[in-house]
Amino acid sequence: MVSLLESQNPDGGWPYQRGGPSWTEPTAYALLALMAEGSVAEPVDKGLRWLNAAQLPDGGWGPQPAVLQSTWVTAVATLLGPAALGGDAYRRGIAWIVQSSGEDTSFLIRVRQFLTGNAQGDPGWPWFAGTSAWVTPTALSMLALRKAARCAASPQILARLDMGASYLLAHACSDGGWNHGAARALDYDARSYPETTGVALLALNGKDTPGVRKACRWAQGQLPGCRASEAESWLRLGLLAHGQLPANAPLPARPPRTIQNAALALLASAAATGRNPFLE
Amino acid sequence: MADLNRREFLTGSAAGLVLAGCSRRIAERPQARRARLVSIVGQPDYSQQVYGEMRRILAEHHLNVRGKRVLLKPNLVEFEPDTPINTHPMLVHAAFEAFRELGATVSIGEGPGHRRNTLDMAEAAGYFETIPHFEDIFTDLNLDRVSEVRLPHPHSRLRSIHLAQSAVACDLLVSMPKMKTHHWVGATLSMKNLFGTVSGGVYGWPKNILHWAGIPECVADLYRMLPKHFAIVDGIVGMEGNGPIQGTAKRSRVIVAGGDLAAVDASCCQIMSIDPRRIEYLRLATGDVGGLLGSIRQIGEPVASVKTGFKLMPEWRGIAEQRV
Repeated sequence: MVSLLESQNPDGGWPYQRGGPSWTEPTAYALLALMAEGSVAEPVDKGLRWLNAAQLPDGGWGPQPAVLQSTWVTAVATLLGPAALGGDAYRRGIAWIVQSSGEDTSFLIRVRQFLTGNAQGDPGWPWFAGTSAWVTPTALSMLALRKAARCAASPQILARLDMGASYLLAHACSDGGWNHGAARALDYDARSYPETTGVALLALNGKDTPGVRKACRWAQGQLPGCRASEAESWLRLGLLAHGQLPANAPLPARPPRTIQNAALALLASAAATGRNPFLE
Repeated sequence: MADLNRREFLTGSAAGLVLAGCSRRIAERPQARRARLVSIVGQPDYSQQVYGEMRRILAEHHLNVRGKRVLLKPNLVEFEPDTPINTHPMLVHAAFEAFRELGATVSIGEGPGHRRNTLDMAEAAGYFETIPHFEDIFTDLNLDRVSEVRLPHPHSRLRSIHLAQSAVACDLLVSMPKMKTHHWVGATLSMKNLFGTVSGGVYGWPKNILHWAGIPECVADLYRMLPKHFAIVDGIVGMEGNGPIQGTAKRSRVIVAGGDLAAVDASCCQIMSIDPRRIEYLRLATGDVGGLLGSIRQIGEPVASVKTGFKLMPEWRGIAEQRV
């Protein structure tokens, strides 16, 4: 917490690594973590001002102010909710997410996939406009829309949530978890990653399917040997969302090496005590 | 050669005054004159001998890097220390020490394509253990400051791209890939390794924009956008089959290095028993791979003595050298 506060830039945003420029993702995660910990008014206000100023005219957020293109980080920013961002900024952010989808699930490409017998499932979300959908941006966009649906559920939001769940379930690896989103490459099975499995499980909160149960078992098996703080945090958040974090799960042991990983570790710790900002 | 002697003389005598004037020499020196030289060094394993070989390689290429910023760019892909996925940390450390002894300010940077936790991966791959103060000299290129670089006549569909500023601003970018087969482009070597300079923080994990814009085309574009380069390929143990992640170890016992990435990669292909003329990014980058091959001067081990057949996936058997 102290480290997070100390790493805030004078402009109000947070860098990925101390001393670097402010980026949207670590700023949004740092704010979520500080707010979950009970908020420290001045840094939070300053951070929110930075985030509000960084919103682009189309309603989304770019990865950092030098990049004038809205991307997946819009989902992380909107996780802060309407009270923090302001109602109008929040609504425009959610509207941007609703209309965003992977290029691979555009109408023309889906027709081609249908004709070649290569259907890829429902639309997910891309990291960057004009490219394919992937697991992490899809999971984070679903979490943002789920939060929006709790405020005001529109048919479009509910439809995108169903599509997102369908996308995730269709892109699970054969071992049960998820990697970045390519379960097979040239007909060879690819392996899952712990961090993407954790965030996908978190996004599939409330789903109880054989695929989700298999993923939980895979995630439980990964906890003891985790080699990255980010992976530990997402696995814990994902398993907690399904009530599947073992009582004897090892405590997080890896050092967070970036600001967003430090914030994620705080968020996972808060979730373990019943405060999960991703699902509130 | 006359230019080289003059440079050596100047470096040895009035270095302080001359260095400022030479500061752009690495960038401006015509690729065709120095860079077609390719060192092929037999190296049976990752032992202390690597350090001496690295010094010898740099000496062969007469690199004037005193006072320059050199960025070593290894290939870090996965958390698997016992597989040949990542560039071996000892080779990177040997390069770090050798460039430092030449008076360069050396740093290390990488921006992996799939996994976000770069430093954790580096630790798992043995970099922390092998390279003292690794965290202090390492930059995660995915999270670095970015520079938008425009492409006036791109091979790909990109018109500009955000690159890690450390890669754009350094005086010499040293691409240090693993010698591997690759399921999308046939072989991944020093040119394909430049994908790690593209900002993951901007484009995500994977940097799928490069796939949509054309992988071989983007490799050729990055080769042109980052011209102040040198290559040192870790072929001591490479990867064959379903590379770059799920293939199997291939002991080719060789380090390949040179000042022109295309020449180095073409030489690596020959060692791997791959026909460089069938590698699309080499064709795009050079326009004439036959001409490139004709201009390369290989020193050290003859290709024939280190040539080893890398197993190729069925989809890539067409790139194998045809036996006469």
